[in-house]
Parts: sequence; structure tokens; C-alpha cells
Amino acid sequence: MKGTPLRQALRQAAALVFLAVILGVVTNQWRDDRLSLIGDWSAEARFNDPSGNSLIISLEESLRLYESGEALFLDARPESQYVEGHIKGAVNLPWQDLDRYFMEVLEKLDGPEAIITYCDGEACDLSHELALFLNETGFENVYVLVNGWSAWREAGLPIEIGL
Amino acid sequence: MRLFLGAVFLYAGSVKILQPGAFAEAVYSYQILPGAAVNLAAITLPWVEVTIGLCLTAGLCLPGAVLLSTSLLGVFIGALVFNLIRGLDVHCGCFSAEITHGPVHMLTIARDLLFLAISIYMAVFVFLKGGHSRS
Repeated sequence: MKGTPLRQALRQAAALVFLAVILGVVTNQWRDDRLSLIGDWSAEARFNDPSGNSLIISLEESLRLYESGEALFLDARPESQYVEGHIKGAVNLPWQDLDRYFMEVLEKLDGPEAIITYCDGEACDLSHELALFLNETGFENVYVLVNGWSAWREAGLPIEIGL
Repeated sequence: MRLFLGAVFLYAGSVKILQPGAFAEAVYSYQILPGAAVNLAAITLPWVEVTIGLCLTAGLCLPGAVLLSTSLLGVFIGALVFNLIRGLDVHCGCFSAEITHGPVHMLTIARDLLFLAISIYMAVFVFLKGGHSRS
């Protein structure tokens, strides 16, 4: 007898999931803000400006701008992570605490030729959000170094610890 | 208790249906599903929640709905704990599709554990007492 209610539950659950999938897919097709069924979540597809232009800068190009002193590096991670280690000379502008830090950092943003934002991990979106915000605020030549902290550190490039 | 859990699922699902893009971001930020499956999960998962919520509140297909609610809550808690252990800074997409609501902390897991306990209690009721929850 014990198997019967479970079999019934499994049948019902499968039917409910099937119904939900149909409802989800059909309503998605109707809406203006529909998602494509198979999404492209690669960095190349995600890190664009509103016009669709890529904001990504390569590690090599970042290093060239770093060595020539033409770029300001902005670390978009929380201060606690910045203190544990960051690209040497990078300024901390935590995206999640932007209001508190922005006025402090603002005067440093005007000089350099380029601004390169970074955080850590392929999935990290903080640097992208920060770059979009700076773009909207009127700053030009803003780029995102994808997975910046790990990529920079693993390449053995200059880092520093603390504030 | 059945109505409460049903309302929780209805609310959680509806919020996500209203903001599909933000919920997809939240699914992606969990870094568990492959990129190609993120949108499909973001499109269908909220409807699974709403369906469960409707069945629980209306008292329809209770064995199936309770099995699904228990399994889903188990998977959600597993994903939260997994990311907590591996130190990934995810933001909970449980009740709000917004990703800026702060990091997952123990309270979120405790809240989901409470929902899971209710769901398991109902499952015991439904499976052992012949399919009718009187709670």
C-alpha cells in the first residue's frame, strides 16, 4: 500500500511540472521583456554598454595602460576584499556602497585616459555595473577587466595588500 | 499551515514572474546551472512555484504539490548551503528578484529550513493520513 500514494504523488508532480513549464514558456513568448530560452551568459555577451558595444578589455591591454600610467584601476569589490589584496595602485569604489565612496573617488576619475573596473570571478557583475554607471555619468573610455583580480594575481602582476 | 505554505509559494513565484531578467541574473549568480540552462530555469521555476502555491491553497493534487514543495525547498537550501560553504558571494533570489539585497546569511537558510519543516510535516500528513491535511 505504501507505494501507491507515492506513485500518485510522482504522477501528480510530473503533471504539475509539465503544466508549469508550458505556462512559463507560453507566457514568456507573450511578454515584451521575454528571455530567450537558451541564454548566452558568456562574459562577451554580458559585458556590453546599452548600445551593445563590448566594455571588455584584455589583460594585455590593461597591463599596457597600467605600465604607461594612462589608466586608473577601480576595484568594485567591498572594502573588506580590497584590503585583503588588490591591483597595485587601484582605487576602491565598492559598487554596493557607491553612495558612501563616490564623492571621495570622484576627483581621481578626471585625470586618466582610461578607467578600468574589475572585481573577481567570471560571474561577478560589480565591475560591469560600475562601468555602466560611470558611462552614464559621462566618463569615457571605461572598460571592464573580466575576472580582474584573479587574472591579474595569477599572471604575477603587481599587487598590494591593505588600504 | 497548508494555506501559509501555499501563500509563500504563490508570493515567491509571482515576484519572480514579474521580473524575469532580474531573476535570471539571480539564477546565474548562484553559479550552479550551466549558462545555457539559466534562462530556461528562470522562465519555468517561478511557474512551478505558483502551481505548487495554487494547489496548496486550493487543496488540489496535494500529494504531488507537497512532494514538489519539499523537493524544491530541499534543492534551494542545498544551493544556499553549497554556496555558503564555497564562499561564493551570491545574493538570495528567494523572495525578491533584485540582486542587491545583501549577501545570503544564516537567517535566509533558517527561514527556508522552517518552510522545509512545514512542508515535510505536511508530506507526513498527506502520505500517512490518506491525502488530507487538516492543519
